[in-house]
Amino acid sequence: MDWKHLDSARRDAGAIEVDLIEAYAQGKINRRKFVKRGTVIGLSVPFMGGIIAACGGSSDGGGDSSTAEPGTSAAAVGSTPAAGGGAAGGTLTIANQKPSGPLDPIAMQDLGSYNILAQSFEFLVGLNDEGDIGPSMLATDWTPNDDGSVWTFTLREGVKWQDGSDFTSADVAATMDRLVASNNAAIAGVFEAGAVDSSDPLKAVFTLTASNGNLPYLVSVFNAQSVITPVSYEAGSTLDGMPNGTGPWKLDSYDPSTGAIFSRSDSYWGEAPLLDTINIQVFADIGGTGVTAMQGGSVDAIQQFSVVGGEGLLGSGDFTVLAPPSAAHREIWMKTDTGQFSDPRVRQALALTFNRQAMVDQLFTGRAIVGNDHVFADFLPFFDAAAVPQRERDIEMAKQLLSDAGFEGGISAQLNCGDLQEIPDLANIIVADAAEAGFNLTVNVESQDTFYGNQWCPAEPADPPCSGAAELGIVDYGHRPVPDTFLNAALKSGGVWNSSQYFNPEFDSTFEDYQRAVTIEDQTAAATSLATILNDEVPIGMAYFYDYLSGHSTAVTGMQVTALGHTFVQKASKS
Amino acid sequence: MLGFVIRRLALSIITLVILITIVFLITSVFPDDPGRSLAGPFASQEVVDSINERIGANDPKGEQYFRLVKNTITFDFGDSFQFNRPVSETLFPALGRSSKLVALGLIMTLPLALMGGIIAARRKDTLIDRGIVTLGLASSSIPEFVSGVALQYVLAVKLGWFEAVAAPNRGFFGELKFLMLPAFAIVIVYFGYIARIARAGTIQALDADFTRTAYMKGLSSRDVIRKHVLRNSLQPTVAVVGTQIGYLFGGLVGLEVIFNYQGLGNLIYNAAREQDYPMLQAGVILVAIIFMICTLIADLIIAWMNPRARLNVRS
Repeated sequence: MDWKHLDSARRDAGAIEVDLIEAYAQGKINRRKFVKRGTVIGLSVPFMGGIIAACGGSSDGGGDSSTAEPGTSAAAVGSTPAAGGGAAGGTLTIANQKPSGPLDPIAMQDLGSYNILAQSFEFLVGLNDEGDIGPSMLATDWTPNDDGSVWTFTLREGVKWQDGSDFTSADVAATMDRLVASNNAAIAGVFEAGAVDSSDPLKAVFTLTASNGNLPYLVSVFNAQSVITPVSYEAGSTLDGMPNGTGPWKLDSYDPSTGAIFSRSDSYWGEAPLLDTINIQVFADIGGTGVTAMQGGSVDAIQQFSVVGGEGLLGSGDFTVLAPPSAAHREIWMKTDTGQFSDPRVRQALALTFNRQAMVDQLFTGRAIVGNDHVFADFLPFFDAAAVPQRERDIEMAKQLLSDAGFEGGISAQLNCGDLQEIPDLANIIVADAAEAGFNLTVNVESQDTFYGNQWCPAEPADPPCSGAAELGIVDYGHRPVPDTFLNAALKSGGVWNSSQYFNPEFDSTFEDYQRAVTIEDQTAAATSLATILNDEVPIGMAYFYDYLSGHSTAVTGMQVTALGHTFVQKASKS
Repeated sequence: MLGFVIRRLALSIITLVILITIVFLITSVFPDDPGRSLAGPFASQEVVDSINERIGANDPKGEQYFRLVKNTITFDFGDSFQFNRPVSETLFPALGRSSKLVALGLIMTLPLALMGGIIAARRKDTLIDRGIVTLGLASSSIPEFVSGVALQYVLAVKLGWFEAVAAPNRGFFGELKFLMLPAFAIVIVYFGYIARIARAGTIQALDADFTRTAYMKGLSSRDVIRKHVLRNSLQPTVAVVGTQIGYLFGGLVGLEVIFNYQGLGNLIYNAAREQDYPMLQAGVILVAIIFMICTLIADLIIAWMNPRARLNVRS
C-alpha cells in the first residue's frame, strides 16, 4: 500500500471521492466496482489508475468477466475494436427495429427510434470502451459538490451544430427543461425546470432537488430521451423535421417504412468517421426477417436479436456477437391495491411457483441470469446479491400461502402480455408452473402497442398513473445501468409506470435515501433495503435479467453497441 | 368504342362509390379514439381530445363519410397516425415499390406461362401437356409466401446468390437483385394458373371453325396460330391477368413481410394492425382504383381483340 500516494489523493479530492477511495483501500469494493463508481463521480482514468496502483492492485482480477461468443472480440463484449487506420469509405447497412412513432427525441419510446436519433444527436455523458459511461460525448468531465446536490459538467469546446451554430450550455439547459416538462421517467423528481445554470457557455451546472449519486447516468446514453437538442427544438420537433445534431452523422433522408440514410457530418468535433454513409434499414420483425437479412448478408449489422430465432447467427463463424452489459428484464406486475393479488401472500405464492433456472435455460439457452423479484442486477457497484436470499421454487409453500390468504380453491386470473420476443412463451411457462400451486391463469397476448395502452398503463384514469392497469401482466424493461428508472417509475408511489399500483411509504422513504446516498456504504445499505422490501412484498415478479444480443458480420470492425439499442459506428469500417 | 369506354368508366365510378362506402363502414367499427392512436398510450386526455377535434373524429358520421368521398377525389387523406406525416408521403413510394415488384413478376411470368399454355394446347394429351399441367397445378397450389421462404433460405441464405430481403436505396440493379426472389415466388404461383387459362383458350380456338377454315385455306400452321388462334385464345388470359394485377398490388402481404418489402400490401397490413385509419382508407381505395383501372384496360384490350365483347356490354 502506497500511503503517501493515497494521502496525496485524499487531500486533492472532495468528500464523495474520499469516501470511494477509502472504500476501495479498505477492500469493501473490488477494482471493477471502484472504477465503475469512480467514473460516475467523474474521477479521471489516470487518477483511478494511481489509486489502484497505490493499493497494490486488486486480488480478485477485477476486470469485466467476458461472455464473449465465438467470433466475438474478447476485448469488450459490447464493442469490437476499431481496425488501425481501417479501410475508409463505403456504406454500412444496419438492421434496425422499426420505430413505433415519429423521430421525436422527447416522446420516443422504442429502441428503433433510440438508435436512429443517436446517430445525429449526442448525449451529455457518453460511453467508455467497456460500455459503461464515459466522457466521450458532449461533457469532458463532471464533478459533484460534497453532498451530491450540485453537479458541474464541463462541456467540450469547439462543438458545433450541423447548421454551423455553436453548442453551448444553453442547449443543455433547454433540453433538460423539455425533459422535465415531459415527465421523463429517469429524471422525474431529480431536478426541476430551470435547474441547469448556463451562465458559462462551457459549463452546465445542475442544482438538484436533493442529493443524487447517480446523476451522470441519468443524463447519459442510458437515458435515451436525454439526447441534447438545440435550443430551437420544441416539444414535437423531430430529427427528420430538423436534422441538426452535433454527432458524427447527418441525416440525409428518412422514410418511416424503409429507414434512414446518414452521411458523414463535416462539422463533427471528433475524428471523422471512416465510413461514407450508414443505411439504417428498418424491420417490423427484426428477430425474424432481420435475422434472415443478417444471415443472407443483406445487412452488415443487426441492432438486436433473441436467442430464440437467432440460433443461426449465434452459431455462425461469419458473425460477431456483441453482448453489452444488460439489466434488461421482464416484470410480472401484480396489482397490489385491489383484487386477488392485493394480499402479499398471493403475490409471494405466485413468485414461489417460478422455475427460474428452467426459464433461463428454455428461453435463453443460458444467456440470462435468474432474478430475485427485485430490480438490482449483481453487477451494480453498490449491491451485494448475496444480501437477499434467492427465492427458490416451492410449490408446497405456495399452496400454503394461497390457503392462508383464503384461496384454498385456487385463483383464476388473466395473464396479459404483449407479443414481443420471448414474452408469450414466458407467459405460457408461468401458466404451467403456477397451475401446480392452484393458479388457473389464462394468457392474453396483444400487439405491443395495444397491450401498453389497454393492459399495462391505460391513459385513463390518469391519476394515479396506470391505475387502470390489468391485475396481472408481463411488461418489458430495457437496460438501465442503474435501477433508478425502474424504481422511480414502476415502483415508487404514483410512479408514471406503476402498473402494480404499489404504494408503500417505507419503500418511498428508502428510495429517497437511495437517491440521496452518495457514499458507497449508504448506497449499498439503501439498495439492500429496497431489494429486501421488493423481495418480501413482491409487487413485481422478476424471473431473470437477460443478455442483450447484437452484432455484425466479421467484415465489420469498430462498432460499439449498448443494451438500449444504440449502434455507434463512427469508428467502424468494413472490409 | 368510345361509347364502350364511357359506359365502363361510369360503371367504375359506381363501383368506387360502393367501395368507399364499404371502406367507411369497415373503419367505423374500429375503436372510436383515433386521437389516442395518434398521440400514443402515454399522452394526456387533453392532447388526445385536441387531436380528435383537429382531425374531425368527433364529427357526425355523415359528415365523416362525405369527407372520405372528398378525400378520395382530392386524394388527400391527411396525416398517417403511425408516421405523423401526410399519408401520400408514404403511400406513393409504396405504390412505386409495388409497381416494380408486380412489373418484374409479370415480365417473368407471362412469357413463360403463355408459352407453356400454348405448347400444352398444341401437344394436348401428350406427356408434355400433362407435364405442364401437372407442374402448373402443383406450383400454383403453393402459397407465394411458402415458396418465398424456401427461395429465400436456399438461394439467398445458403447459396448467397440473391439478397435475402429487400434493400432499398441501392439503385436500379441493386433493387433488381433483391426483387428477383419475390418475383420468382410470383412466377411459381402464377405460372400454372395463367398457363392453364392460356391452354384452355388455345384448345378452344384450335377447335373452332375459323381455325379449321384457315387450315383449309392453305395457311401454314404458324400463320394460323399467329393470325387466328392467338387473338382469340388470349382473351380469357387477358381478363385473368387484368384482375390479378389488381390483386398483386395489394395482396402480396405475406411475400412483402417475408422480404421486408415495403409495398402496398405491407403498408395496408400494418395500417390495419395499428388502426391507422387514414392510411388504411387511402391504401384500400388506391388498390381498388388500381384494380378498376387494370380490369378496364383488360376489357378494352378484349374489346379491341373481339368486337363481340363490345356488343355484349352494350346489350
